[in-house]
Amino acid sequence: MLGAKADYLLPMDCARRLVAEMQGALDSCAERQRQLERSLRVSRRLLQVWVRLRICLGVGSVWAMPWLPCLCREPARTPAPEPETKEEAATPACTPNAQDLKELELLTQALEKAVRVRRVVSKAGQRDRTPSLTSASNATASGATAPAHSQVPSQAGSRASSARSTKGVQRATVSARSADPECRLRPRGDRTQVGTGAQAIRPGPGLRDQQMAPAAVPPATELFTLKEKGTLLQLPVAFRKAASQNSRLWAQLSAIQASDSTDVTRAAKTEFLHKLQTASGSSSHRPGAAEVEAQAQSLRKACTLLRLHMQKELSAAPTDWMQEYRVLLILEGLQTIVGQCLHRVQVLQAAATEQLPGLRLVEKPTQASSLCGGELHSSWSPELLLYSSTKELQTLAALKLRVAMLDQQIHLEKVLMAELFPLINTQEAGRPPWLALCRAAYSLLCEGGERFLTVLRDDPTD
Amino acid sequence: MGRRRRRVEGAARALPEAIAALSRSLPAGPSPEIFRRAKFDRPEAAPVLWQLLFRVLSPLAANNALTDLAPEAQARVVKSALVSQGYPRSAMLQSPEGGPQGSRELLLALSWLLARGPLLEQLLAQTRVQLGDELPQCECDTLASRGLPAPHVETERPVDLRLVEWMMGKLRFGWRRLISSQQEQCALLSKIHLYTRGCHSQKRLGHLSVAETEMLRDPESSQQLLQALESENARLEAALEWRHRELVFWQWMDTVLDACWSESPAVTSQPTVLPMISERGLGALELVKQDLQALQEELREAAERRREAWEAQVGGLGRQPEWSTTRKALQEAVERELVALQGSWEPSSNPSQPQRPHRLVRSQDELPGRQGLQAAEVIRTLSAQEASLKRALHQLQSQCQRELARLAGALPGLIWIMAPGH
Repeated sequence: MLGAKADYLLPMDCARRLVAEMQGALDSCAERQRQLERSLRVSRRLLQVWVRLRICLGVGSVWAMPWLPCLCREPARTPAPEPETKEEAATPACTPNAQDLKELELLTQALEKAVRVRRVVSKAGQRDRTPSLTSASNATASGATAPAHSQVPSQAGSRASSARSTKGVQRATVSARSADPECRLRPRGDRTQVGTGAQAIRPGPGLRDQQMAPAAVPPATELFTLKEKGTLLQLPVAFRKAASQNSRLWAQLSAIQASDSTDVTRAAKTEFLHKLQTASGSSSHRPGAAEVEAQAQSLRKACTLLRLHMQKELSAAPTDWMQEYRVLLILEGLQTIVGQCLHRVQVLQAAATEQLPGLRLVEKPTQASSLCGGELHSSWSPELLLYSSTKELQTLAALKLRVAMLDQQIHLEKVLMAELFPLINTQEAGRPPWLALCRAAYSLLCEGGERFLTVLRDDPTD
Repeated sequence: MGRRRRRVEGAARALPEAIAALSRSLPAGPSPEIFRRAKFDRPEAAPVLWQLLFRVLSPLAANNALTDLAPEAQARVVKSALVSQGYPRSAMLQSPEGGPQGSRELLLALSWLLARGPLLEQLLAQTRVQLGDELPQCECDTLASRGLPAPHVETERPVDLRLVEWMMGKLRFGWRRLISSQQEQCALLSKIHLYTRGCHSQKRLGHLSVAETEMLRDPESSQQLLQALESENARLEAALEWRHRELVFWQWMDTVLDACWSESPAVTSQPTVLPMISERGLGALELVKQDLQALQEELREAAERRREAWEAQVGGLGRQPEWSTTRKALQEAVERELVALQGSWEPSSNPSQPQRPHRLVRSQDELPGRQGLQAAEVIRTLSAQEASLKRALHQLQSQCQRELARLAGALPGLIWIMAPGH
C-alpha cells in the first residue's frame, strides 16, 4: 500500500483558504452546539422538581419564601388581611436531592403541627407569654423579622391559619411584615415585584445559614414537577401587559414598513441617497463586500429553489395535454428566470471587479443589502409553527439541520474540488506525495471524509 | 406673517422631536443637539457619533469584548463596516480615526445607513427579546460558513493535507453531536409545552414557552425579562414615532448635504475609494454562476425536447378558438406561479416565507381558529429540499470519482481499491 505514510503539504495560499473555510464551518457548528447546550440546561432544569420553600419564623409567623407567585390561579381571592401579607416570592435554582426533599417534607409536617399548637398556645396566653415562645423569638431575632413579631404574634398566627385554609396549591402565605420594607409597599396582586423579594432573601442552604440559624425553623417546602402542576402556572400581569404591548408594537412597525415604499418619505430617502452618491463623485453604485456576499447568497438560494422546482415538474407525469403544456411553459419560464439570475451575477461581477465603470446595478441596492447578510424581514412579528407531537417536532428539527448540513457539505465539496484538482493535475503523477494527495482527495471528495482509498503498486519487477 | 412664523416654529420643533425619537430608538442614541452640531461639523459631536456608529454597525458587539475597544479601534471597525457595505464617500473613509474631525461626515454616514433600509427595525430585531421557542434558523445559515467573516487563520507554513482531513472528521463529529442534542431539546420542549398547556394568557398560543416557564421558576430572570421587554417596548415606540416624523429629518439632511457641497465642491476630484470585494465574495459568486449555468443547460435541454414533442403532437390545436382562451389562462397561471417562486428568494420576500421567526406551538386539539404554518407542511418542503441537495451532492461526488479514476487509470502499475460501497 502506498501513500499512507507520505505527507502532502498544501501550498500556502491554498492551505490558508482551505483551513479558513474549514475553521469557519467548525466555528459555526461549535457555536450552534453551545447555544443548544444552553437551552438544554434551562429546559432540563424546568423539568426537574420545582421547590417552593416556606419558612416559619417565630410564633406562628409564617414566612413563605416568596416563590412561585403564579401557582395560584386566582391570587387576588386569597384571603389576606393586609396587602403586604400577600407577598410571595420564589426560590431559584436549587435542586435538592431526593433525601433532602424527603427530610424537608417531614420537617414541614412537623412545623405545620407546631404552628397549629403555637396558635392555640398564643391565643390562650396572650398576655403571659411562655418561655418557649420567647426563646423562639430570640432565636429568630438574628433574622430580619425580629422587630415585628414580638408585637404581632397572634395576628400573624391567625393570618397563617387563614392562609392555610386557602384552597388550591398556594399552601403558604406570608407575614414577614418587617422583613423586606419593599414588601409592604407592593400593591397586592402586583407580580412584577416578585423578583425583588427573592433577591432580598436568598433561598436554599445560604438562607438557612444566615437567617434560620440556631432555632433552625426549617423551611417548609412544596415539591412539584411541571408535569403535575404545570397547568396551574400563570404569567404575571405586568409581564402579560408588556408582552402584548410588544407584539402590538412590532405589528405596527411592520405595517408602517409595508406602506413605506409608496410615500413621500421613501422618495426623500431615495433622493438623499442619490445626492450623496453624486456628491461623493461616483456616479454608480458599487457594491460592497457585504452586499456581494448577500447577493451571492440570495442567488444561491434562487438556484436551489429553481432546481427543486424543475425536478418537481419533470418528475410529474402529465395526464393530459393541458398539463403537458403547463409543464412546458414552466420549464421555459424557469429558463428565463435562470437567465435573469445569470445576468445579475455578471452585473455584480463586473461591478465588483470594475470592468465596466459606470455600470449601474439594476437591482434595488437599498433593499438588497442589510446587516445580517441580505435577509430582510418584511414582517417582524413571529408567525406560529404548529406541531402535533414530539416525533413531528423532532423530524422537523432534524430535517432542518440535515438541510443546513447538506448545504454546507456541498459548499465545502465545491471549495475542495476547486482547490484540490488543480493540485492533482499539476503534481508529478505517481510519486508518493501525489498518491497521498489523491488518496486524501478521494476520501474528502468522494466519501465525505468517511472512507479511504487503497492504492497498491503492482510492480512487475517483483 | 404670523402664520408663517408659527409654521416655521412648528417645523423648528418638529426636527428636534424627530431626532429625539430616532435617538431613543437607537442603542445609546445621542441628544438632538449633537445632530445639530454635526451639521456645522463641530468637533464635540464627533466622539459621540463615532460611538453611535460603532454600536449601530456592530450591534452584537455590545455583549462581548469589542465594547472595550479604544476609540481608534472602534473607528476602524466602523470604517471597514462602511466600506464593506459599499459606502461611497471617500471623505469619511479617509478621515482620521476617532478624532474630533469630520462630525458632519459621520452624520452623513449614519443617515446613509438609515436611508438604505430598515436599519432601526433590523437593530431591534437583532436584540429582540425572544419569548417564544423557535427552531434554530438554519435558513439564514449560521451553520454554513458563508456570510460569516473569514476567520483569522495563521498559516505561515504549508499545511499538511491531513489537517484538512482531520478538520473534516471533527466537523462530521460536530454535526452528529448537534443532531443528538437537538433531538433531546425537541423532546424537552415538547414536554414543557404539554405540561403547561392552557397557561398562556394569549389563547392562540396556548402553552408557555421555555423563556416564560423559566421566568416563573426564577424570579430574578423574571425581573430581567420584564425589564428587557419594557426597554424594547420603549425603543419600539420611539421607532414608530420616528417613522411618522422622519420626513422632516430627510429634508434637513438635504440642507446638510448642501452645506457640505458648498464647503468642499472639489470632492469630485478626490480619488474614489473603491470598496474592496473579498476573495470570498467573488468566489461565492463564481460558484453560483457555475451552478446557474449548469441548471440553465439542463432546463434548455428539457424544454427543447418537450417543445418539440408538444408541437408534433398537437400541432393542429392552435387553430381551434377555445384553445387560445385555455392557453391564455394557462399562461397567466404559470406566470403567477413563477412570480410567487421568484418572491421566495428575493430579499423583499413575502411575509409567509420561512424567513420570519416562527414561534413553536404544540397544537393539542385542532383548534380551527389557529393560524400558522403546519409542521407537516414544512416537513414536506424540507424533505424535498433534502432530497434535492442529496442528489446534488452525489452528483458532485461521482463527478470527482470519475475524474480521479481517469487520473489513476492513466498510470500503469497502480491498483486503486475504492472503498466498499462503490
